[in-house]
Formats: sequence, structure tokens, C-alpha cells
Amino acid sequence: MKIGLKKSLLVLSAAVFFAACTPVAHKEIGEQRNILSSLEGTWKLTKATQVDEAAKAKGFPFKELDITNLFPYTDFKLTLTLNAGAPGTFTTIPGASPKIIKLTSGTWTVDDAQQPKNITLSSGATSEVVTLGGYPVAASNTLKVKVERKEAATGKVVISYSYEFAKQ
Amino acid sequence: MKKLLFLTLFISAAFFTKAQNPVFSPSTFTAEDQITLTYDVTGTGMAGATEAYIWLWGNAGDSPLNTSWTNSPDAARMTAAGTNKWSFTFTATLLYGLPPAAFTNFRFLVKKKDGSAQTPDQGPFNFDPLVFVPTMLRVFPGKVGADDVVTVNFDKAYGVTTNEQRMTPTTATITMIDDAGNNVGSPLTIAVRKTGETIWSATYIPSLSFTPGAGRKLFKFKYKFNGTLLDTGGATISVTSSESEVTFTTMQ
Repeated sequence: MKIGLKKSLLVLSAAVFFAACTPVAHKEIGEQRNILSSLEGTWKLTKATQVDEAAKAKGFPFKELDITNLFPYTDFKLTLTLNAGAPGTFTTIPGASPKIIKLTSGTWTVDDAQQPKNITLSSGATSEVVTLGGYPVAASNTLKVKVERKEAATGKVVISYSYEFAKQ
Repeated sequence: MKKLLFLTLFISAAFFTKAQNPVFSPSTFTAEDQITLTYDVTGTGMAGATEAYIWLWGNAGDSPLNTSWTNSPDAARMTAAGTNKWSFTFTATLLYGLPPAAFTNFRFLVKKKDGSAQTPDQGPFNFDPLVFVPTMLRVFPGKVGADDVVTVNFDKAYGVTTNEQRMTPTTATITMIDDAGNNVGSPLTIAVRKTGETIWSATYIPSLSFTPGAGRKLFKFKYKFNGTLLDTGGATISVTSSESEVTFTTMQ
């Protein structure tokens, strides 16, 4: 009787083991996210934050300041267009806002079309680089960009500005 | 008559124009930063000298370069940076072999190797702290360029005088100075906002509020806070804090 029970348990274990090896059909993961197309459109600034990077590195108490309402930053609009799926032209309309991007129009490029980190805005020989802080994909409808200010003498980033935009 | 007017204006401009001297790069620094100081010795006992040596001291005492007044070492020799201009590069912690906490400020003069000629003493020049030191007047961020958002802060908890400890700030006054040492426009008075239990702040963007003259650039600003307090008789009186000065950092 004991031997019969052992055999039964062995057969049951083997059945469970092999059943576990049965292939499972995975669902399709869908198309790769197209970051560039998610950047296309007109964006309105909703939040501006200034960070003292030197104070942050030293652990000082005053590191960050929300400057959104100190100046009319929310007037600022940025429009990015695509040209056949590739970065095309841009325009900025500051309104009464400080010019967080000095260039008013030109062309834009990215460092990596699949996973862009930096956007370079150019007009003639002048260019400005903004760093992407978050892609406006899936549930997020917010474009986050960061502008760094480097001390000329040392090349160190001493201040950064983070800007959040909502799609219009 | 017109020529005379131009001549008068030219002489006046030359008389009142005072360039920044010495010049530091970077403009603000901690004791751990490499500093290059450039000093124009025109009009001093070192004008026309063919070589120059630095004599440097401060709250941490004499630098190790101050070995002998009549025989400065080669390590103290300065580099020519133009007619009558000499520069010297050093890092305080490395020069002295002391931790950054040992430094508050430094002074210097420029001399001949044998000490037969020298400039007047320069300084004291303050090092930026490596640990946060709360003060009555503080600028945020700690290093700012002329195009940045600049917030000046007044914390009466660290007021020095009784007026500063008791006053309720209402405005801040900003005085802008260009790289020739001249005031730029009129002082700017801006309303303050309360940002802490004992802190009031005012924010501005230098390049939006001040326009330097042709060929000049915004170099530094002074700021102070204005407010009121009740005197012993219960009357409201106007008071002003002491003033602090901030030199702009050149940004890339």
C-alpha cells in the first residue's frame, strides 16, 4: 500500500513537472514606441524649476526653487514638427515669458532617433541643446526638458532648469 | 566748442572708469577650486617690472611660498598676462596642504624677487564655503550668470543689528554694476515675498532688468532689504539692512 502511494505521488509529480514545461503563447508586444512622433506638436510650458546643482552636490538645504509663477513662464510655447518621420523644424513663442530657449525658429535634431536624450535646436550657426527628462508616451502627456548652465571657467554644471510642457 | 565737449567727456570717462582689478577665474571659488588671479600692476611700484612674484597670505596664515621677502622662490613666480599684467594659478588646499575648512579668505601682493618693489595689499578675498553657513543675506543659486533667475533672500534670524532682527522686509533694492565699475541704470526696487518663518525673498533676472552700456557687460550687483519696524513709541519706522555684493559667474 505504501509502495502504491509512493508510485502515485511520483507519477503526479512527473505530470505536474512536464505540464509546467508546456509552451505558453505570449501576446504580441506591439510596435516599438515612436518617440519622435510623440514629440511632434505644440507644447505649452506648465512648470519651471531651478536647481542649484552645486548646492545639491554639497547637500546644502536650499537646492531647488519652483519659479513657475515668479515670471509668466506658462506663456512659453514650443512647436516641433517632423519631416517624413524625422526631426524637422521648430518654433518658439515666448509671449511674456523669459526666453528659456533663445532661438525663435530653425531646425531640430536628436542624438538618437530611437531613444533620444538630447534635442539640438539650430538656427544658422547658433544652436542650443536641451536634455529630455521624460518622453510624452503611453499614460504620460508631459514633455520634460532640462537646460544646464555650465560655469565657463570650470565646465561644471552649476545650475539647471527643468521645464514641463503639456501638449496643446 | 563741440571738440571741447568731446574732450571733456572723454577725460571724464577715463577718469571715472575703473576696470575690475584683480580678476579671478572662476569669479567665485572654494578652497578646493583652482584659481587663476590676474592683476594689473599699472600705477603701482611694480609697473614696468620684467618679472613678478606673488606674496600670499590669509586667515590660514602665510602661504608656503612666502619663504623670504628678499628672495622669493621660483614657485612664487607669476606669469606675464599682458603689459603690466601678471597672473598666478593655485589651489588653496594644495598650496597650504590644509583641509578646506581651514580657509575663509586670502590676500596677496605682487613683488620683485628681492622685495625692492611691491604693489599695495589686495583683498581679503573670500572662499565660498564647502559647508552651508546660514547668513542673513543669501543669493540663490549660489553662482549666477546675468541671464539667470536670481533670488535674493533675507533671513532675520541671522540679523546682525537689532533693526535687522526686528524688521519686516517689504522690498529689496538691487544696484547693478558693469565690468568698468560703473552703475548700470537706476537701482531696481522689487517687492519681497515671505518664503519661510523668518525668510523673505525677491526674484529678478538681471539681463531683463538692466541693460549695460555699449561694449560693457553686467559684472556684479549689490542688494539690500528695506522694511519697517515699530519703535519704542509704537510708531512705524523705515529701516534698511546691510548690503551684500554678488559677482556674476560667466556661463558657457
